Amino acid sequence: MLNIKGKVHENKNEHEHALKLYVEYTQANFTCILSLIVTIVLLLASIDITSLTIKPYLFIAFVAYAIFTGMQIVITQKIKKDLLMLGEIQKHTRKWGYIQLFSILTGNIFIVIFALNLIKMKQTPEYTFAVYMVLTQIAIIAISALNVFKPYVANLFPIAMIVLFIITLFQIAVLFIVARYANGHTVDQRMIFIVIPLFIISVTGNFFALLLGCSLLIKIRNNYRPGTGKWNGIWEKISQNMTAMLGMLFIIVAFSISICSYFTFDYDMAVENNYSAILQSPSPAYPLGTDNFGRDVFSRIVFGARISLVVGIASTAIPAVIGGIFGALAGYYSQRTDNIIMRLLDVLYAIPGLLLAIAIIAAFGANTINLILALSVGSIPTYARTMRANVLMVSNYEFVDSARALGSSDLSIIFKYIVPNSLAPMIVKATLTIGGAVIATSSLSYLGLGVEPHIPEWGNILKLGSEYLESNSYLAIFPGFAIIALVLSFNFLGDALRDALDPKMD
Amino acid sequence: MEGGDVKTADLPGLIPYTYGKMQHRHTYQFILFILGLPVYLYVFVIYLFRKKNDAYFSIREEIKQSLLSSEYSERMKLEFKDELVQKRKFFNTDISEKQIDNQVEKWTAEYFDKTLAEKTTKKLKEQGRERVTFAGTFQQLLLKRLFLYLSFIPGLLMYSFILLYSNPYIKYLVERLFMTIFVVVGVVFFVFTILYLSPFDPAANILGETATKDQIAAFNHLHGLDQPYFIQLWEAMKGIATFDLGLSFEGKEDVAASIANRFPVTFKLTVISLIMAVLVAIPIGIISAMKRNSFLDYTFMFIALIGLSIPNFWQGLLFILGFSIKLKWLPATFNPESWLSMIMPVIVLGTALTASVARMTRSSMLEVINEDYIITAKSKGLSQSQVLRKHAIGNAMIPIITVIGLLFGGMLGGAAVTEKVFNISGIGSYIVDKQFIPDIPAIMGGVVYVAITISLVNVIIDIMYAFFDPRIRSKMKQY
Repeated sequence: MLNIKGKVHENKNEHEHALKLYVEYTQANFTCILSLIVTIVLLLASIDITSLTIKPYLFIAFVAYAIFTGMQIVITQKIKKDLLMLGEIQKHTRKWGYIQLFSILTGNIFIVIFALNLIKMKQTPEYTFAVYMVLTQIAIIAISALNVFKPYVANLFPIAMIVLFIITLFQIAVLFIVARYANGHTVDQRMIFIVIPLFIISVTGNFFALLLGCSLLIKIRNNYRPGTGKWNGIWEKISQNMTAMLGMLFIIVAFSISICSYFTFDYDMAVENNYSAILQSPSPAYPLGTDNFGRDVFSRIVFGARISLVVGIASTAIPAVIGGIFGALAGYYSQRTDNIIMRLLDVLYAIPGLLLAIAIIAAFGANTINLILALSVGSIPTYARTMRANVLMVSNYEFVDSARALGSSDLSIIFKYIVPNSLAPMIVKATLTIGGAVIATSSLSYLGLGVEPHIPEWGNILKLGSEYLESNSYLAIFPGFAIIALVLSFNFLGDALRDALDPKMD
Repeated sequence: MEGGDVKTADLPGLIPYTYGKMQHRHTYQFILFILGLPVYLYVFVIYLFRKKNDAYFSIREEIKQSLLSSEYSERMKLEFKDELVQKRKFFNTDISEKQIDNQVEKWTAEYFDKTLAEKTTKKLKEQGRERVTFAGTFQQLLLKRLFLYLSFIPGLLMYSFILLYSNPYIKYLVERLFMTIFVVVGVVFFVFTILYLSPFDPAANILGETATKDQIAAFNHLHGLDQPYFIQLWEAMKGIATFDLGLSFEGKEDVAASIANRFPVTFKLTVISLIMAVLVAIPIGIISAMKRNSFLDYTFMFIALIGLSIPNFWQGLLFILGFSIKLKWLPATFNPESWLSMIMPVIVLGTALTASVARMTRSSMLEVINEDYIITAKSKGLSQSQVLRKHAIGNAMIPIITVIGLLFGGMLGGAAVTEKVFNISGIGSYIVDKQFIPDIPAIMGGVVYVAITISLVNVIIDIMYAFFDPRIRSKMKQY
């Protein structure tokens, strides 16, 4: 960031550009809006329209949110004033961030993130990763802790919670170390002692730990190899994009809870019938109520994340690889090969993805593996087209000619030189289509053509809930929010990746 | 080979020119041969006759002798060997002498042949003659009016094909339609094969577990399931083409008739959604692009992203919950007679399309308004709205129309979910209902007719482009 030595008496207009230069200002505005929306939703939820009474717990939550949102608006105005008058954010304005940190007690994650960004003068991707890593871990603990209200918990629950708690303490320590010592282009060699534990922690599904570890490792080795500069540049752009980071936060929390739920959640709660607790409204023991078999909807949604992520990622990765290979071959070889491959894929392209999936499932039966295959087949042509267009462009570059002159074989030219250089649009496309795959999965499950009905999957939960739309509408609403949140997160991340990887944006 | 710059409008001149152009593609050579077989036979006789008197071979022999006597190959060999030895030295690879010698032999032989052919052609040209080839002979004959008139009746098919090809628009159209037919045949083959490979037994599913072997055999015989694969495939192709798919396995109803009943429902719904989506999305996209990075832009794009992320069936359920159950404004199920019941399905079906078209319009507009010609238009003193109307929107729409065409397909296919939510008896819910058995003719018919509709829509869009977009027009004329 630029540090402009400002004079108080300078004209306002001279610092107009500072508003755009400082990410904090954009983030402050964005946080204000999000926080305000949540506050208004809480207010509406806390008032019972029919009887005009106030629900006490929700109203308290609303008041807490309103206080922090109000402070947020004040801070935003202060930042604006600072930037316009001085061209930089004053130290004591940044101190306000410490007060805002307390909003973590209300669970207002937007303000917490903003506060943590405001406190730190110079934001590095490592600091952002560390912040999100800690937040992920806290979210996991909070979600798991809801099990305390249940009649019984999983056997491994106490041990798992203690382990998670220790990990969180370690991560907070890492956050302080990173904030203090990892600001330059290089870091101390001794950082390796926190990198290794970070890699081990990422086994819990907390990929922010993995990202942080990788970033630190690159800085420790500090050899400016080609590629590492790119890695930093891309992550610098993404880590400043709050929507993308929030999207990533949700995806990683979903991923991590899918792993941690093996230890902290009881699978029986989600699948075993419990006729003493049928169609109960949300309560501490059953945070999202129970369905018509007495199964806990919250546990079902948590376990459903596993299926949605696995199917979504697998049915994106498989066609991306197959379509990528076809596209690379079609783009590299002669017109005849190109024609044959692309015309055959046109046949697949002509059938709408969902209908093709229905036909395949009709033929081979409804289960998870068939679902993945059915969704994969339909999206091969789009990936092949994307890859082909890139390969056509990249194969005209000089380094391909030089590789050919040095006697590399065609296959090694394609896969060692051309494909790595045409991956960026494929990654963006894949990220943006995972969301579509998640929607397709739940749509097919809703039609009874996806995952087997007894498995907790978001589409299955919704299908059940749709039958109780009139009496117990929450059964259909909550899983829908989970689907939207996951898809939205992938779309945010995909948009940010596209902006970061697109050379036109530079 | 090329017939020179024959750009006359008269037919007799056009034919040999186009014929020469068509010789570049093997497929066309083959089609011409089939269509104009009698003419080809006559020309072949003349070709044989001319070839006898061809000077080519005598000249070639002459040059070969001169090359051999001048020790041309020996020189080449030394040169190649030197090259390979240098290369070995430079890259420090271990290649044996023998390998090098083999390579040298190969290269020399290749090079010798090439030089020989080149020199012969050059000499022929110097003498003002051409090597007698079949295509050349044909082309020369076509230039003669008399030959053309005499062969007109036997070669009618061939000549009409050549004339079709001579017009770039018609050629493009015919090629595009041919591709569509290929795709449709491919779709039938693919869908049928998938259903044929199915491990399920429709007979056992319909007749129940108590069915005897004879009953199952009779069922299979009735529906032709006991026939070999290729006969069944042929029957399926014939059925699709003649709109006669036989009876469905369950209920014994005419598949083609039920599809014909249900298809218009889905099609109407989709088209109305499409129109609504376009009317809403394009203005939003343009406004967002014009007020880039403003609060309005962010809000629109955020809503669009939510629209992309919302599952159809969930949105439908929420609408039913809100507008039918709570507010009681709109009926929850679809009824062809009441237009009120159309509102919710149309909005639900169109949401994703609206969102993508709005996003696409925005990015396309942003790309266009940064072009140089827009700056020129502005510097001419045109107002913002004039620049937009006359210069920007038209060009920004080109990629959007393609996207709409492609998304229309996804919408027609994805309608199944919306139809199920609102209880609409369209083609999508028909396929879903039939898949449990699985009712092979019904599923195949449904999927294939939807695919055909989508292909036709895309063909129409492509052809419209060819006429409206000058860039595509000039590209078409080049090849």
